[in-house]
Amino acid sequence: MNEDLSRLMDGDLNETELDRVAGELRRPQALATWACYHAIGDSLRGCPYGSPGFANRFSAALAAEPTVLAPRPKLGTERPAARWAVAAAATVAAVGVVGWTAFSLSDAPGTAVAKAREAAAVTSAQVRPQMLPQDYVLVHQEYSPATALQGVQPYLRAVSVQGSDVRP
Amino acid sequence: MSIGFAPAPQGAPATPVRRLAQIAAVFVAVAVAPVHLARAQDASTWLGKAAKAARELTYVGTIVYQHGPRVETSRLTHLYENGAEHEKLVNLDGPAREVIRSQGEVRCYYPDAKIVRVEPRTFRNVFPSLSPQQQQALAQFYEFRVGEVARVAGHEAQAIVFEPRDGLRYGHKFWVHRDTGLLLKARLINEKGEVVEQFAFTDIAIGVRVERDHVKPSWAGTPPDWQLKEGTAGDGVAQDTGWAVTRVPPGFVKITEGFRTLRGKRDPVAHIVFSDGLVAVSVFVESITGVPGQALGTMRQGGLNVYSMKVDDHFVTVLGEAPAATVRQIALSVARR
Repeated sequence: MNEDLSRLMDGDLNETELDRVAGELRRPQALATWACYHAIGDSLRGCPYGSPGFANRFSAALAAEPTVLAPRPKLGTERPAARWAVAAAATVAAVGVVGWTAFSLSDAPGTAVAKAREAAAVTSAQVRPQMLPQDYVLVHQEYSPATALQGVQPYLRAVSVQGSDVRP
Repeated sequence: MSIGFAPAPQGAPATPVRRLAQIAAVFVAVAVAPVHLARAQDASTWLGKAAKAARELTYVGTIVYQHGPRVETSRLTHLYENGAEHEKLVNLDGPAREVIRSQGEVRCYYPDAKIVRVEPRTFRNVFPSLSPQQQQALAQFYEFRVGEVARVAGHEAQAIVFEPRDGLRYGHKFWVHRDTGLLLKARLINEKGEVVEQFAFTDIAIGVRVERDHVKPSWAGTPPDWQLKEGTAGDGVAQDTGWAVTRVPPGFVKITEGFRTLRGKRDPVAHIVFSDGLVAVSVFVESITGVPGQALGTMRQGGLNVYSMKVDDHFVTVLGEAPAATVRQIALSVARR
């Protein structure tokens, strides 16, 4: 299972395997492994994951903050230290949003599955042309108006060297 | 709009004329504003001229085929002689695969795999004679306009554009040779305005002399160590395959339905084709035993989207020059009648 999750992250699963693994991901343990693998991936890529519960605490703190509807001070009147504070707050907020997004995965299995599907769909779009059923393509092409307009050109889809593999 | 129509009576030949009559019958009920009609006639004239030029001119050129990030080049030779077309297309990149298209059949040679695929030609093109009803349908689902004049492959070309009025089909932009009407460039565009596929001549000589030898395959017959994969023609009679397709986008009408035998499969394959006038979508249904190990789900090459799924003990594949979501929607609506 863990290897499947790893392959899912790499987008290496086919449609059948994806369905099975997506089903597995409904189990909390599999989901925890999935989140853990992402945390490892993030940290390898230099994106710190944050301390456990940080996102929830940050969200709560942010929600408790009053919204200040004061006029914006003129540029240059604030002290440099205040500007640093604003920038730092913005950074913290950004980290919070990213963190929250990551953490929310473990709250909503549906979302995780959707994300996994999305990732696999992108990969399948790149990989699947290898499997184009050429006999079907050839039959279809004769009925396509494109063939009437372009003659044999659309048949390139069936003999494309880069796009399609030859299946006996 | 209903997509159902009465199949041709058993035994009646499904000639193109008959098919057109069937399509026309479906569209009789379609009401379109008069302003559309003038545009529709205009669009139909351009398409008719392009189809006639593609068929009846003799030309030789280099084609660049772009699909996604990929670019491939090939050489096209088209000879029109004594009322017959002879066409040869050879890949210039990678293995020298080639397509030979003549009156009776299409042959694809794959020297890298030592395979020849042969498909009989059963259908003639529709454009020379789009009926007023078909023209109206085209105008109803695409916004047609004449675009800019541009240079393509060193020739002056007129751009014509078909913009879809819904999200169910791709946009089309064609560049037509000003003197002859031949298509010099054709582009499929998705809903984000991105080019999903493009065919373009980078050089072309029109009206030149072409010898018959230039349109013959590079291999005489089938080399002894090659595999021959031969399909058989449909029976030429519209048949009820027993399969219903219930969610076809508006404007698509059934242009054929029947069984075909493909590459020596034991059981014939049901084949139903729908067209909106600019593109076609094919529905194939065959016994699951005929396609062991077939990939399921979405596949794509350039403007061609494919969706495959299991329905009971059958395998349904829908493919066509339409967005993936449209192809999938059609596939999900295939069921036994």
